[in-house]
Amino acid sequence: MSGATSDVGQRIAGELAACGVKLVATLPDNWLMDLIDTIDRDPRFVHVRVNREESAIGLCSGAYMGALGSAALMGASGFMTVIYAITKINYTYEIPLLLLVTLRGAVGDHHKHHISNGLYLRPVLEAIDMPYRIIERPEEIPQISRCYHHTRTFARPMAVLLTRDLLRGGHR
Amino acid sequence: MNYVECFRALARRRTDEIVVTSAGNSGQAWWAVTRDSEATFYLDASMSLATMFASGLALARPELKVWAFMGDGAFCMNPGMLMVERQMNLPNLTHFLVSNRVYGATSNAGLPNFSHNDYASMARAMGLERVFAFGSIEALERDFPAVASANAAGHSFVVLEVEPFSAEEQKLEQPPFDGPELKYRFGRHVEARTNCDIFGYRL
Repeated sequence: MSGATSDVGQRIAGELAACGVKLVATLPDNWLMDLIDTIDRDPRFVHVRVNREESAIGLCSGAYMGALGSAALMGASGFMTVIYAITKINYTYEIPLLLLVTLRGAVGDHHKHHISNGLYLRPVLEAIDMPYRIIERPEEIPQISRCYHHTRTFARPMAVLLTRDLLRGGHR
Repeated sequence: MNYVECFRALARRRTDEIVVTSAGNSGQAWWAVTRDSEATFYLDASMSLATMFASGLALARPELKVWAFMGDGAFCMNPGMLMVERQMNLPNLTHFLVSNRVYGATSNAGLPNFSHNDYASMARAMGLERVFAFGSIEALERDFPAVASANAAGHSFVVLEVEPFSAEEQKLEQPPFDGPELKYRFGRHVEARTNCDIFGYRL
C-alpha cells in the first residue's frame, strides 16, 4: 500500500465514520483492497465480508430498519448484479442505502474485461433513476457525507463512484 | 406437517420476537395466523435476502430477538448467506428455513434437486452449530424450547419440513401493505421498543 492510497483510504473511512456509518459490508475489487483493509482494521466499524453483492443490499437495508448507519462497498461488476434487489427492497420500501462502487471501465482502467462496465454502469444507474456522484480527487472525499445524508432525505439508494485515480493514485 | 399449522404453532410460541418474512407463502401464512401489522416486516420477493435483512436488523438492535422466515426456493438462490450468518453469529437471530421443496410463491413449481437437498447438513457444513429440524407439529411443540434456549447463546438455524400450500391455501391473503406504509409501521414499532431513531424524527 502506498502512502498516498493509504491516506485516501483513511480519509474515506473518516468520512464514513463522521456521517454515522457503523456497518460496512464489502466485496472485493482490486481497486478497493486498501480501503477494505483500512475499514477492517478500524474499530469504528463493524466490517462484514459478504458472499455476494445482493447480500450487502439486504444486510444494510435491515440495519437501516434498526437505526444503524451503513454502507455497501463493491466493484462495478458486483453492482451490476444487484439491480433487482435495490429496486425491490430500497425502492419498494423507500429504504435509504449508500453504495460505494468502483467506476470501472472508465479512462485509466486498462482492463479490457471492464469495457462492459464502462459502457453500461452509468446508463444502468440512470435507467433506474439512481443518483450518483463521481469522486476523482481526494479533496472531493467530503462529498461522501453529503451523499449519505441525501439518501436519508431521498429515502432511496445513491451511489458514490470511485475512480482509479482516486483509489490507486493514477495510472502507473 | 401442514405449512399454516406449523406457523400457528410457532405463533403460539412467540413472545416478543420481531419477525421478517420472505416472499409469498411465508408472508401469507404468518399474516393468516397473526395479523401482525407492526412487529413483522413482510419483505416481498427479495429472492433470498430475508435473512440478510434480518441479520442487519439483529446486528443493529441486539436487545431485540429476531425471527426470519425463508422458503427453500429463496434459500437455493443464495445458500452462501449461511457463511455470512455464521461469520456474524448473532445470538438474537433465528433463521427458519421453510422447506416445502417447491417454489411455493409460483404455483408450487419444481425446485432443483428437491428430493436430495439436505439443508441441515448444508448448514452444519458451513460451520453452524445450532441446527434444528422439525418434521411434525408434535416434534415442534415438544422440542421448540431447545431452539429458544439455543437462541440465547448464538445464531440458530431451524429447518421446518412442511407440505406445499394446497390450492385453497394459495388463495390466502397477502399482507395488505404498500412498501412505505410497512416501513413506517414496522420502524415506529422498533423505535418504540428500543428508543432508537430510525427516520430522523420521532413521533
